[in-house]
Amino acid sequence: MRRPVLAAVALAAMLAPLGAFAAGEPTTGSLPHGGSYTMAPDLTLASSAIDLWFRAPAAGYDNASPGIARLAATAAAAATLESGKSLVSLVRGVGGRLAINVYPDLVDVSASVPSSAARRVVAAMSAAYFAAALDDDSLKIARTDVAVLSAQEHYSPDDLLHDALFAQIFSAGPAHFAPIPSQLADLKSITLAQMNAYAKRAFRSANATFALAGNVDQSLFAAVTAGTPGSADAPIVSTTAAAPSDKTVNAAVTGEGLAWTGPPIADERAATALDFVADYLFRDQTGLVSKALDPTGDAYVNGQFITLHDPGVMLVTIGGSKPGLVETQVLGAITNLQQPLDVAAFTAAREAFLYHLAADSQSPTEQADNLGWYSSEGNGTYAPSDVTSTYWKAARSLDPQYVAAVVKKYLAHPVVVRLITTASKEPTS
Amino acid sequence: MKLRITAIAAFLLIAASPALAHAAGALPVVTRTGGVTLITQQDAAAPLLHVVYVVRAGLNRQSLAQNGLAALTAQTIIATPVNGVPLGDAIAAAGGSISFTVDPSDVRFEIESLPDDADKVLALARTGLSAPAFDAATVRAARGKLIARIAENQQVALQVGLDMLNSTMASSANAGLPQFGQPAALEQLGPDDVKSFYATYYLRGGSYVSAAGRIDALPAGTLAAFGQALPDGNTTAISVKLPKLNGASRQLVAERDITAPWLIAQYPAPLIGSKDFGPMLVLASFMQRTLADMADVPGVVSETYASRAVGAVYQYENAQPDLVLYVNGGIGNPNRSFSTALSIASILATTKLEGSIDEFKAMASGDFISSTNSLEERAWLAVIYDENGQQPDYLTRTLDAISQTSATDLQRVARDYLSNPTIALVLPRENS
Repeated sequence: MRRPVLAAVALAAMLAPLGAFAAGEPTTGSLPHGGSYTMAPDLTLASSAIDLWFRAPAAGYDNASPGIARLAATAAAAATLESGKSLVSLVRGVGGRLAINVYPDLVDVSASVPSSAARRVVAAMSAAYFAAALDDDSLKIARTDVAVLSAQEHYSPDDLLHDALFAQIFSAGPAHFAPIPSQLADLKSITLAQMNAYAKRAFRSANATFALAGNVDQSLFAAVTAGTPGSADAPIVSTTAAAPSDKTVNAAVTGEGLAWTGPPIADERAATALDFVADYLFRDQTGLVSKALDPTGDAYVNGQFITLHDPGVMLVTIGGSKPGLVETQVLGAITNLQQPLDVAAFTAAREAFLYHLAADSQSPTEQADNLGWYSSEGNGTYAPSDVTSTYWKAARSLDPQYVAAVVKKYLAHPVVVRLITTASKEPTS
Repeated sequence: MKLRITAIAAFLLIAASPALAHAAGALPVVTRTGGVTLITQQDAAAPLLHVVYVVRAGLNRQSLAQNGLAALTAQTIIATPVNGVPLGDAIAAAGGSISFTVDPSDVRFEIESLPDDADKVLALARTGLSAPAFDAATVRAARGKLIARIAENQQVALQVGLDMLNSTMASSANAGLPQFGQPAALEQLGPDDVKSFYATYYLRGGSYVSAAGRIDALPAGTLAAFGQALPDGNTTAISVKLPKLNGASRQLVAERDITAPWLIAQYPAPLIGSKDFGPMLVLASFMQRTLADMADVPGVVSETYASRAVGAVYQYENAQPDLVLYVNGGIGNPNRSFSTALSIASILATTKLEGSIDEFKAMASGDFISSTNSLEERAWLAVIYDENGQQPDYLTRTLDAISQTSATDLQRVARDYLSNPTIALVLPRENS
């Protein structure tokens, strides 16, 4: 599950019980020079989460430059601004943290800073991206940065499996390509001119959404001085493969992944049902499958429904020395869910799910991530971090029969990717 | 030789100004009744209510032979059947969670729930805490859970090293035992031991109920009533003195099923109320950055595995605080990174500083502010400050302490505390 938020405040005011309004409901609006914002303040906190989201294809607008979004986003953070400092230097200097997250269809620049520095960071972030001026120095830093991340990913089974499964499920479009390319040659071939052209198009203010949480208020947007009005790009979709096939990949690490295409973000109830399934089966410590693993062994399983514009993806990754055994457990548990759970067990699981939703989105960074993701995927009013959102209405409406029907519809035949090493004795397909 | 610290721009001076200390909202409210301290921090924008319940039933209430009994008792409470299922499952089904941590002197229960379910969840927790089941099946189930948690911890090199170091730092030998005990010792502990430990130490004297978040969702008086769940009375710790080892070496070595060696160094550090508290926070941030800069590829923007493989943690929450530095050898020779960091600290301690330390103060402030984002952290910090005789407005006090730190303070603390570490080496087994 991924989470964002938008208004629907008026609707929520009619639907939500009075108690729910004690929580800070997100507000939305327009930036002064194009673009939008969504914001969930909590003025009792001393920190501010400031996220800037763009709808931007990770491999370029022609899908021919894998890594260009990551490269451009990193270069913009490293480029020297008029103040004489880069965005990353500013954030670190005020005691904050900056992260750049690039997905197949989105770019997120995320800062967590003391609230006293929020205004300066909003100003610097908008200047760095809305008026990006990338040069050879920033390109060099970005290339080094992405090369390090690429090297790291070679040893991350979850990342490798995620990218490989998406490549099987999506035959074309940005989701077919890894946001961080495994081949450094792809990076080296991207020129400064290409990167600047990409940044100018992808990072324009009209295509941006600021997602703020923590100790923030609307006055921060007065610090946005760059940008030009216009319209945002539509949510980006990729082409699904007609008959995706399984695959075995030689890698530095072993692992196994399973994926199923799911409902679009617009089908809120079905998407929420698959979030429930992921929570019920795979949540660390409490999930049915997770709890069944031998705690003294090396097996682990991660499962999540990734809410995307269309379609979403249920993705399960398995690690350890006996992935085949865990795969059997995973598929068995999913098959069992094709039959409705008994009412008492389901009610308990749904209540636990609701609690997990709130527990997973209580920090400002988590809330800003949630707000930005769902807004950028095209359904901002469906952000789980907002208890007044349509997400919570959908979650409370789930029943055993509906969940079983959704499992039957979407989770019948997974695509399987296996990572093997030269020494691995895992079966190949 | 003079150590040059990067000069900072004017705006950083503003960032470190005292105004920062007043960024946050309402102060914690403290009331004391019948041996129970109740601390509340209402946050209307929070999605949850979190309650920390602290009972004086930690490691120093068990003898060396009872290694693990404090944890077994706490786990038995969570395994106690309520409405036909273990308390932990009953609370999960009601929209919440319960967990525990065993500290040197306390056991700390963390109870969290959705606002609408908070009253129900606290009632369940109160039932389990006030009337645990001591039958063989419940205690056996609790023991099984603990042994599984111990097995998980043994795969975490940093935890293995900290357990070793804590055993040497503790003033009383039992307070330095591993929080969950050891499997062999747990196998010797049965229902009678748990029942006796509970009857002796689960009294409300000196306990804390610290709540943060949607307190307004509870009926008035609920938290105060929760604090009365246990019988009245006070307990005292068991003092277990062991002769100090006189060996010249201050290195502890263990082997585990890990892929790379870890080096973990522990230094004594000041208490929260000390004049050295603020400077130590700044020093910890300085050491963190120094280690990360040495580990990482120069100039990278993203956080990498290398920068996460090293760290400096000031554990001021401990009754005997410490500063821990760690290096994961998976990124290269840990000795080299560590000795370079120590050399820099040594120079810092002895050399006249040029430039400003404001950047490090800003980092220390930022690090502390980050640690106050979750309800659990906010509830727990208020307890720590109160236990240390401080007003529980932890944010203002800590940011003020950082803000008032001078370069001279920083050097004094480096000199006074960073001289003689105890070092734990956690090595891969020869056959792993």
